[in-house]
Amino acid sequence: MRYTDFTPFDLVLLAQGLGVTIGLFLATTVIGLFIGTALAVIRFYRVPVLTQVVTFITELLKNSPVLVQLFLVFFGLPAFLRINVTPVEAAVITMSGNTAAFIYVIAVSAIESIGRDQIEAARVFGLTRWQVLRHIIAPQATAFAIGPLTGLLVNQLQVTSLISVIGVMDLTKIGNTLNLRTLQPFIVWAVVGVLYYLCAKLIAWLGSRLETRLRAHTAWKGL
Amino acid sequence: MRLDLSILVPHLGFLAEGALLTAQACGLALIGSLIMGALVAIARTSSSRAIRGVAFAYVDLFRNVPFIVQLFFFYYGLPELGIYIDAFTTGVISLSIAGGAFASDVIRSGILAIDPGIIEAAEVSGLSRRKTFTRIVLPIALRTSVRPLGSVFINLILTSSILSTITLNELTGTAKIVASDTFKPFEVYVVLLVVYAALTYLVSILIGLLHKRLNRDLVEGAVA
Amino acid sequence: MIKAENVKKVFGPVTVLEDVNLTVNPGEVVSILGSSGSGKSTLIRCINGLERLDGGKITVDDFDVSKPRELAEARKRSGTVFQLFNLYPHMTAVENVTLAPIEVLKRPKAEAEKEARALLASVGLSERADAYPAQLSGGQRQRVGICRALAMKPRYLLLDEVTSALDPEMTAEVLNILAKLAEEGTTMVFVTHEIEFARQISDRVVFLEKGRLVVDLPTEQFFAEDGGMANPRVAQFLSKMRKD
Repeated sequence: MRYTDFTPFDLVLLAQGLGVTIGLFLATTVIGLFIGTALAVIRFYRVPVLTQVVTFITELLKNSPVLVQLFLVFFGLPAFLRINVTPVEAAVITMSGNTAAFIYVIAVSAIESIGRDQIEAARVFGLTRWQVLRHIIAPQATAFAIGPLTGLLVNQLQVTSLISVIGVMDLTKIGNTLNLRTLQPFIVWAVVGVLYYLCAKLIAWLGSRLETRLRAHTAWKGL
Repeated sequence: MRLDLSILVPHLGFLAEGALLTAQACGLALIGSLIMGALVAIARTSSSRAIRGVAFAYVDLFRNVPFIVQLFFFYYGLPELGIYIDAFTTGVISLSIAGGAFASDVIRSGILAIDPGIIEAAEVSGLSRRKTFTRIVLPIALRTSVRPLGSVFINLILTSSILSTITLNELTGTAKIVASDTFKPFEVYVVLLVVYAALTYLVSILIGLLHKRLNRDLVEGAVA
Repeated sequence: MIKAENVKKVFGPVTVLEDVNLTVNPGEVVSILGSSGSGKSTLIRCINGLERLDGGKITVDDFDVSKPRELAEARKRSGTVFQLFNLYPHMTAVENVTLAPIEVLKRPKAEAEKEARALLASVGLSERADAYPAQLSGGQRQRVGICRALAMKPRYLLLDEVTSALDPEMTAEVLNILAKLAEEGTTMVFVTHEIEFARQISDRVVFLEKGRLVVDLPTEQFFAEDGGMANPRVAQFLSKMRKD
């Protein structure tokens, strides 16, 4: 057996890489959802100064390459703050922040999709801003946001591939390793590509199912 | 912990070279994306099922696989086929193919939005299908799609930073070199982040102006 | 000569045209009347090849519109003016008019433009020649539409309810031009709701009823009590249109 041949162990490697990719994707999605929504609430409450700061930072994150953000966190922060940042930590921080920025935008437009009149009506009935948010806005905004959110997550899954550049052993990094060892880039990258493709399709499918289900609750059911 | 940006001054020329390379790659990739996008958009409205299927598969595939994987596929894979092209060309081709997948969706919906009566008018006046497409359909679709195509272009600029991973010293690539030369990665990458954001902001303003200019004649009752 | 023989056209389960026979000779002005849905516009769209026939045959100067090779020739001989103008929105009035002459007839650009400007001037649009469609009023747009059709020097002009999207004042603008063209001997086939106008300029009037051509008479006879009006459908239609 030549050193460059594929071995069954390569499948384990691929599975490991896929696991790292999916794990990081899920973790940063949850964190990003939480932070992004919280930022949107800050805007909803019209907190002075903070709202402007949030808008500025999210715009900066949306309009710069994730790779550069990753380098800033991985290479920049340790040098500047004299702290230690591991590749995985850098990946989690960057991806969470980036996802949060996009979720903020989706959340804000979802909240704005709900008519001012509804909010004002609820306020007239004496509901607090929080109650309005909780009972009037949140349920409707969620249904509105699922579509764009699915699109975002399909994209963010692909963005995770960049963490391979700072050495996280995700699917792309495994692809790199196999590529260098086997010198069969066509097969290696095709397989890696297919795995990403299937994951993306899975996310899109789950998203559309969730959307149908949420819509079913709000839709007119007929007689 | 002091942000001292003056350390960058001696490297500005080098960074500018990188920025120029980024601009060249993005400019060429924009043209490539538009051509790919237009061709695929035509293919997707073709009467042949096979052609429609291939076009759809292309869009679906390249939209759902990470760009870096596509880039490595071409960069490492093409030499295996005996095709040797430099990193810059590989980068531009990859960006064009990926950008084309997104542009085709935009152009396609631009085409579908055209009033069929306008196309009928061209048809009865004897214009060939090809002329109808190049003189009527495409110009109208491109004009009305300036904004969404602008978003595709902005994404192209941001994505071009990934070309640094195939040894191409564009803006991000040169910044990486400066960061390791100066031992000031934080300063370098903060500036780089802001530069990209400013660049895309500028581009989005230009797109807004272009949209206004190209569509000034399409506005109902612009001049009575 | 435009000749339609036993023309049949079906849209799904609906038969829109059935056994339609019509001949239009050079120099004639023929109006097609009929209530909405009677198939008038479809007949025009069959003549210019926008709809495929399901039966019968249409020839324009002996060129069969059902045959792709001959359709191109047939189309060179006829010009169409549309109800909703269908101007190219990204081109000025002049560009709208010169596009086909330059691309199809391969006329030199300067020459085509000179002629286009003369045409536009003849319909009172010399000032608006470089305006874009969105900058023109409905009547002005339709006048450009007419010029666009005329620029190809067609032997036959097909007009599909060209004034129904216009208000009365603009309708008058357009009808005046058509009257002038009729006087000059332009062959025209036009679908219209303007009964009085049809009466003034037509040599012949045909009446469609549920996809069938039921009356085909010289104008005088069509409007005579013992002519077309003897047909109860025609009488009903005319009295209804006049009331509206």
